[in-house]
Amino acid sequence: MARRSRSSNSTLLVVGIVLLILAFGAGGYLLSTSGDAFRTTAPLEVPAYLENSNSLRGNTYKAEGEVLNQLGYSPSMGRLISVKIDATSDVVPMLIPASLSHVNIQRGQRFIFKIEVTENGILRALDLTKA
Amino acid sequence: MKNTLTAVLLGLVFAGTGARAQVADFPAQPPGGGAPAGGAAPAAQPGGGQGSSFLGGDTPFFDPGSETIQWDGKTWNINNNRLFEARFEKFLSAPEESEEQDRAYNSILFEILEKLSPNRVDPKSLDEAFGLLPKAAEFRRDAGLCDTIGNQVYSAWMARRNMERLKQADATLESDRARLERNQRIAAQGSSIGGSAPKDAAAAAEWATNQQLQRDVTMQPYVTRLAEVNALLNTNKTKRELQELQTKIEFQALIVQLFVQRRFQHVLIATRFYRSVFGDGDSKLRVDGEAKSLFSGTTGMPPTVGTLDAMASEVIRDVSEGIEAFKYLLEKDELESATKRLAETFVVGEYLPQVRTIERDKKRQALAFVQASNKLISALEVKDYALAEQLVRQLEETAKDFDNSKPLAAIETAKTVAAMHIAKAKNAAVSGDRAGLETELAAATAIWPRNPDLAEVSKMIFSQADVQNKALVDFDQLLSQRSFRQIFDDKERFIAATALDSERQQKLREVLTNMTEIEGAIIRANEIERRGDFAGAWESAERAFQKFPDDSKLNQIRASLTTKAADFVGALRRAEELEQRDQPGSSLAWFLRAQQQYPNSDMAKAGIDRLTKRILPDAT
Repeated sequence: MARRSRSSNSTLLVVGIVLLILAFGAGGYLLSTSGDAFRTTAPLEVPAYLENSNSLRGNTYKAEGEVLNQLGYSPSMGRLISVKIDATSDVVPMLIPASLSHVNIQRGQRFIFKIEVTENGILRALDLTKA
Repeated sequence: MKNTLTAVLLGLVFAGTGARAQVADFPAQPPGGGAPAGGAAPAAQPGGGQGSSFLGGDTPFFDPGSETIQWDGKTWNINNNRLFEARFEKFLSAPEESEEQDRAYNSILFEILEKLSPNRVDPKSLDEAFGLLPKAAEFRRDAGLCDTIGNQVYSAWMARRNMERLKQADATLESDRARLERNQRIAAQGSSIGGSAPKDAAAAAEWATNQQLQRDVTMQPYVTRLAEVNALLNTNKTKRELQELQTKIEFQALIVQLFVQRRFQHVLIATRFYRSVFGDGDSKLRVDGEAKSLFSGTTGMPPTVGTLDAMASEVIRDVSEGIEAFKYLLEKDELESATKRLAETFVVGEYLPQVRTIERDKKRQALAFVQASNKLISALEVKDYALAEQLVRQLEETAKDFDNSKPLAAIETAKTVAAMHIAKAKNAAVSGDRAGLETELAAATAIWPRNPDLAEVSKMIFSQADVQNKALVDFDQLLSQRSFRQIFDDKERFIAATALDSERQQKLREVLTNMTEIEGAIIRANEIERRGDFAGAWESAERAFQKFPDDSKLNQIRASLTTKAADFVGALRRAEELEQRDQPGSSLAWFLRAQQQYPNSDMAKAGIDRLTKRILPDAT
């Protein structure tokens, strides 16, 4: 009787551990997927962009990186900033339209940008979120 | 009185051959003054107002005030007369007359003068003196003058004989006249018709008329002959007076001519013969005009043959004194004064034995001084001041009394003024003032044509001109080839060459300005490269290269730096390429990459600013 009792305790322990692992895994997955607001958007292929931006015109990408500098500001058109892309360490210009002017963008901040390659190859942010 | 006499003598005796010596009597000529050269050129006498009319102007007239000889309407300066210079030098070079013949000739002349001496002269000595004249005339030195005197004496004697014959004829005529007068008187008394006069008044009147007619017919031959005799007597008287006067005038003319020829011994001989031939005491010299005033002005009395005699004696004495002075001064090495005294004496007493017998060695010393003096004058006239200075030093050594003040003043003044003009010419050359250069060089040349400095400057300028021309050709060629660096490397030569060419000077200035900029960029690039900042060095070189793509050195440095800063250069190149392909996004990304690699890049920043402006035209 006693042997049967020890065996059932071990089974319960294993199941418990498994459940715990599963719980942690699920939690981690949920945690990891719940911060990428543009997880359905393809990341920007920086080398291709640098090589020929015209070939990417009209596409929408996401890119995560650090704001390096503001290159220019237009009240009507927004601000042009330089962003160092995390994936390649390349610096690309990015136009933050006036519609996103409510977002405070400062040098050194990291953001995830949803971007569109415009007619003349300029990366225009459609949306952004802090990374 | 003596000086006046000498001056008049000079004037009289200057038979177109003499003048005072050209002995170190230097005119202080101003530099560039252009003194008349040669000295022999006669100057026309303005108006001829002071020209001598003595002997119809055929004889030169000496003006002691201006030291000029006036002759035939022209004027010569006796201090500067080539004719006399040659004659005097010939005399100085000739040997002294010490030969037997010369002594014999002088002895004969002395003997003639002794025999004609007023204290000793008598018919016998007169004839002896007359007999010696042909002997003296045999000597070449006499030039036949004693013969001329002898002929004149003979002519005078012949004239005297003619006058004697006229006197004899007059005596015959006088007796003839007396006879005629007596016959006439007798005829007048014995020519009555006879009878007495009628009582009738009419018949008496007719009788008287017949009586008168008869007397007239009887006396007529006597009256006529008497008139003829009287006429003959008057004619003879006039003829005799005229003949005597003519003979005297001819003799006096000969004496004056001898005086003019400076044959003073012959003057003495002639005057003494004259007195013997014309013993009537009439020695009045029959000359008119200025000749008369010359003699009378000198002596203060009407001119006589005795005046000429006295003047000739005075000249002979004066010449003797002059020769003694010459010899004394020569002993004292006072060559200038000695030569002047000799020249003065030579002018007057060229034919006197005192002058002719001066030893040749003594004359040679004077000749050396005269030649050096004449050379000095010539050197000053042609403005060869270097030679003139050398001659002055030479003369100072040989002649203790040489007065160097005038020639040295002329030399130093000319040298100073010429040096000033040359200095100005050099300044004009340096400042590119071609007109000024030419003017100053011309002025310097006019003042001292043989100035060695002038030759040096001219040579330098001409040499510079050759170099300059070649440099200008090279400059044009290099400019057309756009070889600005070669122009820059040889800039000193081209700066000097284009100094007088404003157009080329402007082009050179542009080239040098550009090259200075290029060199500055290269220096900066090298400095930046030394710090290890290849991108910065390249960018410095690239900026200059874009402006001056033809410079090889810059191109070479740029190429080297392009390799060393390949990533940065590649980023910029790619950025520019994409910008040109109208891909501002990608282009801007590449500019940003370049800036990442070289944050101080002006070119990257410029590209970023340019594209930012394009993307955000209204960006602030």
